[in-house]
Amino acid sequence: MKVSLSWLQDYVTVDVDVVELAEALTMAGLEVDALSDRYAYLDGVVAGRLVEITPHPDADTLSVCKVDVGAGVKSIVCGASNIKKGDLVPVALPGTQLPSGDTIEAGRIRGRVSEGMLCSEAELTLGTDRSGILVLPESSVPGRGVAAALGLSDTVIEFDLTPNRSDCLSVIGIAREVAAILGVPLNYPEVKLPSGETPIEEFASVTIEVPDHCPRYAARLVTEVHIAPSPFWLRDRLNSVGLRAINNVVDVTNFVLMETGQPLHAFDFDRLAEHRIVVRTAKEGQIFTTLDGTERNLTDEALMICDGKGPVALAGIMGGLESEIEDDTTRVLIESAYFNPITIRRTAKRLGLSTESSHRFERGVDPEGIVRALDRAAQLMVQMGGGKLAAGVIDVYPRPIPERVIELSVDRTNRLLGTGLSRDAIISHLESIEFEVEVLDEDRLKVAPPTCRVDIERPEDLMEEVARLSGYNKIPTTQPVSHVVAKEQEKRLRVRDLLRHVLAGCGFSEIVTYSFIGEDACDRLLLADNDPRRRMVSIVNPLTEELGVMRTSLLPGLLTTMFRNSTQRNENLRIFELGRIFLKTGHDELPEEVEMISGLWTGAKHNSTWNVQEEKLGFYDIKGIVDTLCAALNIPHVSFRALKGPGHPYLRPGHAAEVYSGKKSVGTVGEVTGQVLHNFELKQPAYCLDLNFEEVVCLCFEEIRAKPISRFPATARDIALIVDDAVEAQSVLDFIEGLGQELIDGVEIFDVYKGSPIPARKKSMALRLTYRSFERNLTDSEVNSIHAAVTQKTLRQFKAELPAG
Amino acid sequence: MKEELKKTEQEALKSLEATSDRQGVNLLRTRYLGRKGVMTQCLRGISTVPAADRPEAGRLANEVKTRLEVAFREAIERLDADSKEPSGGLDVTLPGRSFARGRLHPITQVTQAISEIFLRLGFEIAEGPNVELDYYNFEALNIPKDHPARDMQDTFYISDDVVLRTHTSPIQIRVMEKRSPPIRIIAPGKVYRVDSDVSHTPMFHQIEGLMVGENISFGDLKGILTTLVHQIFDEETSLRFRPSFFPFTEPSAEVDIQCVICRGKGCRVCSHTGWLEVLGAGMVHPAVFEMVGYDTDRYTGFAFGMGIERIAMLKYGIDDIRKFYENDIRFLEQF
Repeated sequence: MKVSLSWLQDYVTVDVDVVELAEALTMAGLEVDALSDRYAYLDGVVAGRLVEITPHPDADTLSVCKVDVGAGVKSIVCGASNIKKGDLVPVALPGTQLPSGDTIEAGRIRGRVSEGMLCSEAELTLGTDRSGILVLPESSVPGRGVAAALGLSDTVIEFDLTPNRSDCLSVIGIAREVAAILGVPLNYPEVKLPSGETPIEEFASVTIEVPDHCPRYAARLVTEVHIAPSPFWLRDRLNSVGLRAINNVVDVTNFVLMETGQPLHAFDFDRLAEHRIVVRTAKEGQIFTTLDGTERNLTDEALMICDGKGPVALAGIMGGLESEIEDDTTRVLIESAYFNPITIRRTAKRLGLSTESSHRFERGVDPEGIVRALDRAAQLMVQMGGGKLAAGVIDVYPRPIPERVIELSVDRTNRLLGTGLSRDAIISHLESIEFEVEVLDEDRLKVAPPTCRVDIERPEDLMEEVARLSGYNKIPTTQPVSHVVAKEQEKRLRVRDLLRHVLAGCGFSEIVTYSFIGEDACDRLLLADNDPRRRMVSIVNPLTEELGVMRTSLLPGLLTTMFRNSTQRNENLRIFELGRIFLKTGHDELPEEVEMISGLWTGAKHNSTWNVQEEKLGFYDIKGIVDTLCAALNIPHVSFRALKGPGHPYLRPGHAAEVYSGKKSVGTVGEVTGQVLHNFELKQPAYCLDLNFEEVVCLCFEEIRAKPISRFPATARDIALIVDDAVEAQSVLDFIEGLGQELIDGVEIFDVYKGSPIPARKKSMALRLTYRSFERNLTDSEVNSIHAAVTQKTLRQFKAELPAG
Repeated sequence: MKEELKKTEQEALKSLEATSDRQGVNLLRTRYLGRKGVMTQCLRGISTVPAADRPEAGRLANEVKTRLEVAFREAIERLDADSKEPSGGLDVTLPGRSFARGRLHPITQVTQAISEIFLRLGFEIAEGPNVELDYYNFEALNIPKDHPARDMQDTFYISDDVVLRTHTSPIQIRVMEKRSPPIRIIAPGKVYRVDSDVSHTPMFHQIEGLMVGENISFGDLKGILTTLVHQIFDEETSLRFRPSFFPFTEPSAEVDIQCVICRGKGCRVCSHTGWLEVLGAGMVHPAVFEMVGYDTDRYTGFAFGMGIERIAMLKYGIDDIRKFYENDIRFLEQF
């Protein structure tokens, strides 16, 4: 919403600096977005004194002028004849863009140098005269701006209004606030209507078929109108707020719209069939051409203004092409109505058509301002167009909008705000913005807001008015009083924190990616058709197709992040994300939101440094991260099983595992397959972990019981087993643990070897067993005999052999 | 014995003083402190001392030995320091072998910092679904269908009744539906709006706050938010409260803080206003309390919401919000 200071001053005297005013308005809830100099477009136009005028040697109608523009004398070719030596005139210097859009350039006109242009009033949109050059007052100083020379100064104030303040979508609405803030009176424009002769009813009629959609419709008729350009003051007012002048009738409707906030429509009365207006809804599928020339496909919700034959306007949004004001229009029917805000909003939204009218109707216009605005328009139209007014007004008002009366408690106001305002202070704030206040008793007030304040419904709305007018910043700052309750922090928050810090400690940086991804992500991960991660939730109106569905895995985000980094040559990455995935359940039901923790490692294994051999990253590195996490979170009975089956086609077979705690699967870890790397345009091997955070939280065991520590020394014994390649280390470890030998304090695998001299399809696995007692020192022979027994059982169990020799 | 020790010490120190090369010092050291050296002999000789004097002699001998050891070490260090030749020491300027260290995402760090402040104030953390019912995201917050306030937030739709939440405010409703006052919660989380440019991403983060009880006032809201801003930035940062509009609060306020970049003098970041808009807040609208069945005569409360990215950008001097979601490791490793 734009308002020019000069227009504002038609209704209220502003005796403070505009910057100060803007600040005060902002602090009262009308946020000023920008202040701009209305005449900034004249910056390149300066006053110049004509020091010499000579006829153009090669053109009868032109003359060559020498003009002193302060910084020198310019030669300018000019066609006007109203100027003489010594006159001060506006000079548009090269580079200046005129309101017409033309940019002035230095050049030659009929062979003579011309370094600028002398301008008429109309060329500078300072008036309508285009017959000659504008002559500036004698007081003008050559070289100074023409706006200053003419004493022109105006500021355009641009507001960013909140949707509740429809009352401020007009110059008078803003003026009302200014008057309240500055404590000065608001002067409404005086409306005096000529008494018409023939009653309007003899010419026209209005029928409302759908009063719920159109509670009120008023009209006046002006005859013998001459369509012409509007006088300069009216065009200037419209220009000042960025509206284009069209003709006197249309300009008046726009002027009154801006002045009062009430949208009006002017119909060419002679093009209204049967000279009647019918308000009804459209037929489903009906086509209507609005005055912008667009064919609109309507639904039966759209409210239409019709004549005796058919629709002539899309109510409250835009007029029709057929009944537009034309140059030969002589009789004008002016419409001023109150349309149901929801009706207008639905249609405007459905058609994607937002106009100055619809913007106001859908926020609610002043139901009692309908006729006032109509009268104002009729008055101006008669003045501008020299027309005659038909007597009387048509005002059909089948659904009166009830006036609101709200009871306000002084005490409750002060308690909600935390203030100590007196009853009188509250009354005076409310009265300053035209609220009518009646005192019921010491505490209670009966308040009737003005009808334009459609946003005021409850006592709290009144409290806000009091608060904003007395100043939010004057409200004392206090601390709430409340009982002290120590609340336990939720486990999942603690686990999240711990996970993040452990991963960061392992060198993994956290990433955050969008929750939406491209639908093709499942294909890129090679997921089977029946994979649950194909149950994606689609967004009806996505920003782009690549952000079209809610993610069902964090892996695409990690792989995409790896890709983005690889294009920047960031080749060594350790990254993780902790976030939700979304699994579709049913239509119109909320999806299942599951929190996951996923990580990716690619590139170097260690920070690069001097004199250290770079080791190749491998499966056991990423697995080690999972080990560390499980240990840090105290997850019980963790085991890994080689991934089999089609569940995780993005992981390389034989190089990936499922992570278990007891019998519960917690997630997966492994190397990404070459095909998937290719699908994400990646070249470098990548390893990932993908754990279900919900399971991790459940399994994470937070209670710690300290175990006793033996004070007797340990003795270690090794076994080397030659076993089948297929024998998994875990099974050997589990077996030894299962023997239940109390003196075994620990088992560790310290070497695995394949190749000569170990036979094919066999491997050597070297284990170190630690023996220790809680009660005494163990003797060598004791340990030897236990170890021999353990070795024998293990050999038998795994059909293993001891190495030769 | 005592005399002998004293003599030995003096002799050793004198010889050491007279020696100016490393080799010489080492030879001397072997002579006096070596396995077969003078001092070892001395210590052995203690056994010949009468039993009564033995402890005293032992103490003395050890003292002398210690003093000599120090003297020899200092002599060698001094020679090393004077020496122009390579000493065989390490080039301590070579980089150490560091462990890789990961960082938490700046959004996480700021969220945690803000959460900490509220946890200390006795607030609890609540969460809610990202994919939300229209009812919770709008209707229960006093934003009916066809309300112009819906234009304030461009919504991603899943279906007519399901949306990606456009703010963290629906969590207020979910909490109030389940519990009765007093309530003190904050709710951090992801939110989504159809928007994308230098200052908008289609997904971003908010933190919501809600306090409901008896006699909670707008002044209290100012108090809590002042504490918050002072803890996030510093005590010098001033705040101003401007009237605004949110359908679910009345009165509503936008909260500006004095620009933390220019300290209110006016700069590019604050568009030369000296102020930065960082929070929306207000007293919970009675219509919202009615939706969750709270007694509006008894309870009042306040709610507020802030954008995490906005705070992170100010705190870390980031000028393009999209950087948070590009996840360039060179960006992430700065935090």
